[in-house]
Amino acid sequence: MPGPLEGYRVVEIAEGVAGPYTAMSLADAGADVVKIEPPSGDRSRGWAPSTNGGDAPLFQALNRNKRGIVLDWSSEADLETARRLLSQADVAVVDKFGLPAELRWEALDEPGLTYCAISGFGPKGPWADRPASELAAQMASEATSSLGRIGEAPVRHGSDIGSVFAANHAIQAICAALYARDDRDPANPAGGQRIEVSLFGSLIAMRSTLWVALSNPDEWWGFHLDSYVKPPDHGYQCRELPIYFSLARIRGDAFESLIDELGMDWAREHADYEKLRTDGAGSAGRYAAELKPLWERGFARFDAEQVIEIVQRHGGWAFPMHDYERLSRDPQVAAVGAIIDVAQADGSLMQQVAPPWDFEETPVSTTMRPAPDLGQHQNEVIAELAART
Amino acid sequence: MPGPLDGVRVFDLTLWMVGPWASTQLGALGADVIHIEQPSVDPRTLGAGVPPTINGTSIGYMTWNQNKRGLFLDLKSPADRQTAYELLQTCDVFLINMRPGAADRMGVGYEQVKAVNPDIIYTAITGWGEIGPMRDKPGADVQAQYFTGFWSVSGAEGGRPEVYRHLSQIDATTGNVAAQAVLMGLLARKRTGNGQRIHVGMLRAGMALQSGRIAEYLHTGQLHQPQGSAAFATAPDQAFQCQWGDWIGVAVTSDDEWQRFAEAMRASEAKADGIDELATDRRWNSNRERVARRSELAALLQTAFIQRPRQYWMLRLSEAGVPCGYPISFETLQHHAQAIENQYLREVETSDWGPVWTGGAPWEFSHTPARWFGACLPGEHTGEILDELSTRRAAADMPSPVTGD
Repeated sequence: MPGPLEGYRVVEIAEGVAGPYTAMSLADAGADVVKIEPPSGDRSRGWAPSTNGGDAPLFQALNRNKRGIVLDWSSEADLETARRLLSQADVAVVDKFGLPAELRWEALDEPGLTYCAISGFGPKGPWADRPASELAAQMASEATSSLGRIGEAPVRHGSDIGSVFAANHAIQAICAALYARDDRDPANPAGGQRIEVSLFGSLIAMRSTLWVALSNPDEWWGFHLDSYVKPPDHGYQCRELPIYFSLARIRGDAFESLIDELGMDWAREHADYEKLRTDGAGSAGRYAAELKPLWERGFARFDAEQVIEIVQRHGGWAFPMHDYERLSRDPQVAAVGAIIDVAQADGSLMQQVAPPWDFEETPVSTTMRPAPDLGQHQNEVIAELAART
Repeated sequence: MPGPLDGVRVFDLTLWMVGPWASTQLGALGADVIHIEQPSVDPRTLGAGVPPTINGTSIGYMTWNQNKRGLFLDLKSPADRQTAYELLQTCDVFLINMRPGAADRMGVGYEQVKAVNPDIIYTAITGWGEIGPMRDKPGADVQAQYFTGFWSVSGAEGGRPEVYRHLSQIDATTGNVAAQAVLMGLLARKRTGNGQRIHVGMLRAGMALQSGRIAEYLHTGQLHQPQGSAAFATAPDQAFQCQWGDWIGVAVTSDDEWQRFAEAMRASEAKADGIDELATDRRWNSNRERVARRSELAALLQTAFIQRPRQYWMLRLSEAGVPCGYPISFETLQHHAQAIENQYLREVETSDWGPVWTGGAPWEFSHTPARWFGACLPGEHTGEILDELSTRRAAADMPSPVTGD
């Protein structure tokens, strides 16, 4: 059965993470995506790591289900090919920086095209023309202030969150624009339009809870869901692994029983015992930094799994902190099919993260095509283009 | 000009953040989002009671229920349930984030809603999925951050991995993914004419957010070790300290950028061993070689960066087309032209909490602009929405719904 976006044609002129992730999501959902690369290829083909000198796993994981062609912007013929591809497409996903002027929205005459331009910092303002990077966007949106210590070297989030946030917003905007396209606005009869999404704007939008918290709170002791003033948080260390822990609703007798079972008698004599009994939100708690050493002294005698069991049985919150190894082996991950095998051209299987939606009527195909080799579908796509013209 | 989802109506039976954030996005795109609360709701529990509060209401509720209208409905009361069904006939989208089974017990499971409105795009959001050993466990952002390894790839160089001290990012990601799914469902309905049931879970959405890093692990079997501001995939792509202690973030992610960066460094006034030969030194031949010798390269570059102020490097690298930036705090950001001119950060009026700062719409549309307005009070538009229903009833010459228990 076809996916929800069956029948839509997409042209991608993008590299790295944000644009390719956007177009891959559309491809996963059933759209026909043609990825245009420069002769040197999408830069992320050459990113680290590589086990055999081939394309990086990130490239493979963000470019499946696409067809790939190569065009050289120094060639007028290739520019014309791109224009013709765009004129037959429903959607364009482009990186604003590095795009030739001839392929900007203003230079095209495609009033029916949904044209999504992704930039580092957005269409207006003094930084509109600055090239994008994950690190610069994380820093400028103050996302890096949720890591590390004030006054010390900045720490980035190790995943490409700004790029994927932007991609998630781009997917929304593209689908919404396609939905509006058929409304036949007399001022825009062909229904196409230009959309702008940026890493900077996306990171800011995703931190909205913090901005509201900073507005005019009744009482301020640092954002409950974040803090600049708290030290780096490594979870609550048990004998071998860290866990998440919060008292949640543990009060009264249940609390005393928890203390007994953890062998934390000594805590009853501690000056902070009253806080220990009532500060309920784990690392986000008001006194978390002071109280954590007390809890860790208790947890150190047990394995993570034991502490989780004890805390949950008492009505508190405790969860494992998975790294990717433990995540990939977790039975729940297997049960929901969060990791899929994608057959590569050489017959080997590559494990990747599955698309995140389940559609009962228009399910996403479970047969994934691998990311294209550079220029793999050149002849096929050019022949189709000629046949349709 | 109306937004792209003008004319779409959403029945928003959501709470906490993950569901409400999905409908906040749909509302910004122009949909008429009707956010349902129980009439008996305790204001202190709104938005999960997440502190701080403004005027007694959690900032969580205020952030996660923007761009909506508020309606009181008690789905346990037969009369209100009847109103719900009548309202559902006028809706395109049904949105819920409760544990599997809860909707059926409230009379709004898919089969029940479909019987009232067969074209509905019914979207259920869960924490862990609708199958598997954890299906019935409650899900929240913090657990999802810890479970999906979101915490495991950040940290000071050489130190232990550290948690991202901003909860809500997996909630918001899942909400965004759910809004995508709704939009795809609406598009599919145009083609097939049919509504359908859709599911999105935090576990898979949180993992999709990390698709690149997880694929790297699955491919190599090597866990990422914290390396401060430095990227795993590219080099040089990290922060350097400039004269007077300021930090600059520099990202070189292609060979072309490397050549421009090398030339900008050569042309600078900073002196360092090897700084003039970056472009030709075989050690830095390709991105993968630079990543493999990242520390060595970073040490060389740090020697140069410390000799001049940040603004010096910002100007030179920007002119060379090398991506660069620096840390900005909220106090600066809320007056920063880049954030304000794009309306990424804005102040909105609210019903009961005065003006609040919030992120704005993350998209710009040239023809169907998005909108952004402050959160509704719970049930704020109950009278207005019920009036609309009775007008519709009168126009269709339909009897009033049976009232009384």
